[in-house]
Amino acid sequence: MIRLFFVLLFFVFTPSISLAQKAKATISGYVRDSISQETISKAEITAKKIIGIGVDGRPSNTVDESSTQKATTNAYGFYSLSIEIGTWKITINANGYKEYSKIIILTASSEINFNLPIESDGMQAIEITAKRNNNVKSLDVSVQSINGQTIKKIPALLGEPDVIRSVQLLPGVTTVGEGASGFNVRGGGIDQNLVLMDEAPVFNSAHLFGFFSIFNPDAVKDVELVKGGIPAQYGGRLSSTLDVKTRDGNRSRLAGSGGIGTIFSRLTLEGPLALPEKGIKSLTKNRKNPAKSSFLVSGRRSYIDYLAKPFLNDDLAGSQFYFYDLTTKFNYSKGKDNFFISSYMGDDVFKAAGLFGVKWGNSTITSRWNHVFNNKLFSNFTYYYSRYRYNLEFTNRDVTFNWQSYIVNNSAKADFTYVINPKNTTNFGFQSTYYRFIPGDARATSATLNIKFGLPDRYGIENAVYLANDWNSNGKFSIRTGMRLSQFAYLGPGKVYLYNREPGKQGILDSTYTTQRGEVVANYFYPEPRLSFKWQTGKTHSIKGGYNRMVQNLHLISNTAASVPFDVWQPTTNNIKPEIADQVSLGYFRNFGKNSTIETSIETYYKSLQNQVDYIDGANLLLNEFLEADLLTGIGRAYGLECYLKKSGGDLTGWVSYTLSRSERKVMGINDNNWYANRFDRLHNLAVVVQYKINLRWEFAANFIFSSGTPTTFYTGQYKVQGYTVPDAGSNARNNVRNPDYHRLDLSFTYYRKKNPKWESFWVFSTYNTYNRRNPFSIYFATNFQDKNYNAAIRYSVIGSIVPAISYNFKF
Amino acid sequence: MPFHSFIQRIQSAVFTSILVVLTLFQTGCEDEIKVSVDYNQPKLVVDAFINNLPQTQTITLSKAVNYFDTNTAPAITNAQVLLFDTTAGKPFFFQHTEKGKYQFTPNANSGDTFTIGHDYALFILVDGDTLASFCRLSRTATFDSIRLVDVEGNGPPFNTTGYYVELMAKDAFGKGDFYWIKTFRNDTFLNNINQLNISADMGNTSTDVDGELFIYPIRYSGVNDFSRSFKKDENIRLEIHSISPIAYGWFNLVRNENQNGGLFATPPANIFSNIIAINKNPKNTLGGLFCMSAVVRKEILIPD
Repeated sequence: MIRLFFVLLFFVFTPSISLAQKAKATISGYVRDSISQETISKAEITAKKIIGIGVDGRPSNTVDESSTQKATTNAYGFYSLSIEIGTWKITINANGYKEYSKIIILTASSEINFNLPIESDGMQAIEITAKRNNNVKSLDVSVQSINGQTIKKIPALLGEPDVIRSVQLLPGVTTVGEGASGFNVRGGGIDQNLVLMDEAPVFNSAHLFGFFSIFNPDAVKDVELVKGGIPAQYGGRLSSTLDVKTRDGNRSRLAGSGGIGTIFSRLTLEGPLALPEKGIKSLTKNRKNPAKSSFLVSGRRSYIDYLAKPFLNDDLAGSQFYFYDLTTKFNYSKGKDNFFISSYMGDDVFKAAGLFGVKWGNSTITSRWNHVFNNKLFSNFTYYYSRYRYNLEFTNRDVTFNWQSYIVNNSAKADFTYVINPKNTTNFGFQSTYYRFIPGDARATSATLNIKFGLPDRYGIENAVYLANDWNSNGKFSIRTGMRLSQFAYLGPGKVYLYNREPGKQGILDSTYTTQRGEVVANYFYPEPRLSFKWQTGKTHSIKGGYNRMVQNLHLISNTAASVPFDVWQPTTNNIKPEIADQVSLGYFRNFGKNSTIETSIETYYKSLQNQVDYIDGANLLLNEFLEADLLTGIGRAYGLECYLKKSGGDLTGWVSYTLSRSERKVMGINDNNWYANRFDRLHNLAVVVQYKINLRWEFAANFIFSSGTPTTFYTGQYKVQGYTVPDAGSNARNNVRNPDYHRLDLSFTYYRKKNPKWESFWVFSTYNTYNRRNPFSIYFATNFQDKNYNAAIRYSVIGSIVPAISYNFKF
Repeated sequence: MPFHSFIQRIQSAVFTSILVVLTLFQTGCEDEIKVSVDYNQPKLVVDAFINNLPQTQTITLSKAVNYFDTNTAPAITNAQVLLFDTTAGKPFFFQHTEKGKYQFTPNANSGDTFTIGHDYALFILVDGDTLASFCRLSRTATFDSIRLVDVEGNGPPFNTTGYYVELMAKDAFGKGDFYWIKTFRNDTFLNNINQLNISADMGNTSTDVDGELFIYPIRYSGVNDFSRSFKKDENIRLEIHSISPIAYGWFNLVRNENQNGGLFATPPANIFSNIIAINKNPKNTLGGLFCMSAVVRKEILIPD
């Protein structure tokens, strides 16, 4: 294995050897928004050499096309480009910004920062113009990004723009149904997505059981979903990485934005962390010199409980049903260093006084330090803490039960970008994460009783090193090779369970033993090769493909139709093996139209999965000391075809995405050991997202979604024993029936009020599920539905009617 | 395990609260729809719960039916049923009476009774198949009394007037006892599945405390029907049946499958049976359970 790594290492660096050298210099620096000073990632920097001198003695406009050199800014907006000494025209293209050009006379290596003017200064006319042909030219294979502005334009449930629900409109992404938390990418489970918020993983991205996500769109800069050809710097989950980056905060002036909606309201404040230049009254005017530091504070709170109060009867009076979240960020730049501290905290609270209480939420803290060692070596050091916990409380007369469960992790990592030359960029780094799992800490208390029970804590450490290289030959061929070596150790202290297992049967406890702190119970080591390539077949078209192996050591234990907040995360142990996925993908990308405003792509993928967790029939997953005995493992496969058409520019914008896919499993002991469809398998998935600018004041938007029904299992028979009905599923087939298809249309009209430099605002009028369809989330069978004394099939719709909403949004 | 039922209650409470939220916006809904299913291989069902009370004991044999079938299950009338005390080497023959019921009446005078601590085997000959099952008749709890709880309009969790009862009984000392507690109102067994009241020891397997009063959810929440309190002149009887660990697990599954639905539904699963066919290539697939119980019971007349 080690030898393999070195072979790969050699391969990675080979292209960089023996390149003819002329007198060269390196320019490097940051690309930023000219007003807010927010850094811009993935901006494309093109350098073209200028030939000759104009009549006025200044550099002419004639460029030598063959001298073209390119670079792209990294996640922190940093670029580095080595070019010959001379006179160059530098052009910068970035999403949402005007093309920007500058002529430089290069005599020695130097630091040059660029400030890009925004395409439009209001909320009204931000067009998501493609970085010209970037989708075709970039080496990213199956990557989809949406920025905060687009998310806000998609018609949303109750008028509340939402990150995860927007992501669900992209090709290859599906969901089990309304009210289900998370999302499924290319046939993977919801726990197989690495959801990052400023580099820290979040373990439950849902508010209100999945109707909303925890990300406040006002604080979000951009969202990137990586489905295939996953770069080596990401690891730990099988199916995708959803990288959510928050904004840094405006460095020029104090600014705010927010909204008042039907369910909740949100407010964001941001500004420079420095004394105002022209007195306190000028806080909201642009500073002449942007400050070196800034802050952003963004919060939301729902007020369903206040709205609900008049409707609640005595039992539920005094109930609390709400959620909140708070995102904060500070940053500071000095010379070659940038510092960031960002944090998130949020909770959902459901409480009925004297009866029960449920609370769950994430909190994360990330601190980062960017350092530019020299004009070719950029580094980022991160430390984060991330915690997910839930708490259940149930009071019965004088006895209160309380149950808490946590997953806590602390992680340190370092990432380096080394720009060897314009043709080679190397990324390398390492990460170490310490996990503590508290699956169930329960107690029963009363005046006379205090019993503590529950499950012991579990510990694990995960380490990874990676090395990757992007090699780009004359813009025609590019290859990204990478290798990630990951290791996971299941650690003591704790009780270790050894089971005798027959395939497909419940494990039988053989023996147990106790371990000391830090003792390694099980250790797993895996190389994870990554590869992606691009073949530029023409100026506006290319073929791209990729392979990745991913390894996952955290498992969300859940056998319910929709994941619930009380599902427990378990580490890889001596009994639960790491999950492994191998994926290949291949796609053709082509742009049409003047300025390539129509982007299209067609991609296929095949994914093979190992050590997938499933459950014996009737498994008990909650607070079960012998949980591992109830787990079964099997293999999985997922494959599909994704088509995407996107139009940017003009009055009509939007996209159409269609996915044809399958996701299946084969587990000994389930479905007579045959392949069966996963709970989230949907054959057809269509999303049409349209935005149309009617005039300067009004904008119209619509979504249409169609997806094939999810599979389900029905009881077929019944019998009675001691007066109780025993339902029977007959031949044991799993997921043998399909729920009806799902489709839905959402509409919205946005009205922009007359522009006022101090206060911009707009109203959104929307309808969700416009034609009032009763889409079933599931069909289940009940033996005594509504006290009718017979067996019935029940259609359960989470949203069974049209949902109209109004919201007011502002910015100052 | 009562904790499991506690979690189910939490889940249903949360589920209810989502429904409350959704109902406020008049969006969520459940309605009955017509679905047809094929049930190809009906199981032969054995309902064999035998106890040590001095009254006629019944084993019922029938065929399972389609899930939506509302007719009475077809009876199996051509079987031979034998219960065998393997500890004492004593057979008890169950005779078919009517509609698939096979009965035997114990007789203390002739010594034809069931003994606590003995092992029993059930044999059934039907359609050329030989079915067998085994179970021990285990000890049961110590029943002290039934305590009346006057709820007078403020009894949790729902407003009501009248009485509830509390089972003042102690788990047998030592681990590994399982119970099924049945409530009868005027001799009618309250057999709503949501009120199924089973207990592993005193109801709390996670601690070392043992042999004490059943925990509150078992002795109070489990024995009452909170949708209707007990009224004057009603006769309330509580019975504590010892059951086998297998029966305890079986009841848990039956309850889970009956309460399975909505957002938190798990895949429907077949429930095992402890009755097996011992011949090769049996004709029947089997459902149902054999369980021997020792019973203690008390009753109370609800006063004014």
